Amino acid sequence: MVFTIPKEGTTQWLEKLLEAGEVIAPVRGPCGDVIFSALRSPTQVLWDFENPLHPPKQFVLPQTDPLVKIKLNGQRHEVEPIHDDAPRTLFNVRSCDVKGIAFLTRMHEADPPDASYLRRARNLTIISLACTTPCPAGFCVCTDSGPFLSAGYDLQLTDLGGSFFAEVGSEKGEAAMAKAPELFRKAREDEVTDRTALEAVAKTRFGPETCHFGSAMRRISTGRVQDALWEKMGDWCLECGGCNMVCPTCYCFSVKDLRQNGAWVRCRMWDSCQYNAFALEASGHNPRAHRKERMKRRFFHKASAQYYTRDSMVGCVGCGRCIKTCLGSTHMPAVVAAIRKGKWHE
Amino acid sequence: MNDVFLPEIACIEKVRDETPDTKTFTLRFRDHQNGNHFHFLPGQFLELSVFGCGEAPFCIASSPTRPGVLETTVRHTGQLTDQLRKLGNGDEVGIRGPFGNGFDVQAARGKDMLFVAGGIGLPPLRSLIWNVLDERDRFGKVTILYGARTPHDLVYKDELEVWGKRSDVELLVTVDVAEHDWTGNVGVVPILFQKVTLHPESTLAYVCGPPIMIRFVVRDLLKRGFKEESVISTLERMMQCGIGKCNHCAIGHRYVCRDGPVFDYRQIAELVE
Repeated sequence: MVFTIPKEGTTQWLEKLLEAGEVIAPVRGPCGDVIFSALRSPTQVLWDFENPLHPPKQFVLPQTDPLVKIKLNGQRHEVEPIHDDAPRTLFNVRSCDVKGIAFLTRMHEADPPDASYLRRARNLTIISLACTTPCPAGFCVCTDSGPFLSAGYDLQLTDLGGSFFAEVGSEKGEAAMAKAPELFRKAREDEVTDRTALEAVAKTRFGPETCHFGSAMRRISTGRVQDALWEKMGDWCLECGGCNMVCPTCYCFSVKDLRQNGAWVRCRMWDSCQYNAFALEASGHNPRAHRKERMKRRFFHKASAQYYTRDSMVGCVGCGRCIKTCLGSTHMPAVVAAIRKGKWHE
Repeated sequence: MNDVFLPEIACIEKVRDETPDTKTFTLRFRDHQNGNHFHFLPGQFLELSVFGCGEAPFCIASSPTRPGVLETTVRHTGQLTDQLRKLGNGDEVGIRGPFGNGFDVQAARGKDMLFVAGGIGLPPLRSLIWNVLDERDRFGKVTILYGARTPHDLVYKDELEVWGKRSDVELLVTVDVAEHDWTGNVGVVPILFQKVTLHPESTLAYVCGPPIMIRFVVRDLLKRGFKEESVISTLERMMQCGIGKCNHCAIGHRYVCRDGPVFDYRQIAELVE
């Protein structure tokens, strides 16, 4: 089902969406950068923006995710699960980030399902904005996660100039449109043609970044990447964990108890497989004591056939955030290229 | 949907000092006193919470044939165990689990059982040993080889005495460094192989202990004709969630917490990354 909404109608639509719950969208942050944040007013929404450095995964998998409240009543401990069932709408998120959330959801649905994550995901409506101009560092075309999507969104918008083309992907998407039914009308034939043409053009406008997973995957999966190459790439890694924090598909975590308002709250917190202590055991034994081993781990998880089989996709959505954040240039396209060529740039 | 991170409260019923740095805690569920809801296999582990400090994985050292309470033997070695050692009778902890695959007790029926343990490696095997001894007629010969650094580092000293006196169990104990009042074997665990008769074709070998000990014991067992799939061990990794999600214990695409911790030696050899 395809519809259009005139551009001047979006403010009214967003007002209706805001009545139903939190709407998270790209906005101009206090320091001028673009961030995903809960809207206070519909006019805050950016329509032409550079994708924020931090993906919207924090709204389904918060960096500090409270799981269990632990209270002490006299000598008696009481534990209760913490549930977040708030309805949220992600608005104007890019295709790569939609695919990132789809990846996280599949992982958390797998046996055993993770209620804390799934409650948020099930109450989340994703309204994406297809990329008519790919971002400069993006390579989503290599990971089948953009510039336009054919699934994964609840509603996909495309900027047609005077109006937005709206493709319905789910009942949640229909419900989002039904908040302001008078604003939407069925798309005409020529609008469908325009949207198709925009996608075709977008695919020709990618920047220089590419990421050919095929042959790299073959080598990673069979342990045929030379140890010396991992070591060389490990030398460039600064162990900052930035790649993990900004990655839409990274979800590794640690569990910690935090003190809050006179009770303990057991929290899941983002962790990074690039940190030395990630696999450190209490005994002092560390199976991944060297950077090369941790880097090997990261890319095995991202791009091995073993994980591809499990997740039905590589652990990369081609957003290019690791390129922007990595000071050592050991980001996804560089590492994949080095593995393919068998050598690291000097 | 279950809240997979929600622990259940248990009370410490007894604390027993095993060695200067190791204690055995006997735990009983506070709200399910008979523990009937908690079904586990030997070799499985639980996530034990010390509230305010966090949680950590410990193997269940008691046997499922003796339900009601859970026992776990803990060496004080990190932040959480440092807090745990301060707890005593009546104090509350949290339990999640059981996690992991555990030992396949059904498949071991009719087989000779060889247990090889080093130091703190005995607790996970103790669960299986008592399971086997409580169903003694279902298994063949039972041999237990156990070694520790010094006589002080031997855990379950009372039970070693019990096992040693049983006619249907062959128990040999050794220490790396003896003191003047020690009259037993001296040397590392593999020296005990010379003192027992093994039938590799009908025996399952369960090996648990520090990595260096496992390496030498497995090498000796294979040399003596054991098949790789008859040598069974438990792997140890840093674990947090227990359900294969947090990725701390991953080896390749396998998770020690979910696909393990029990692996036979052929599976271990196939773990690649």
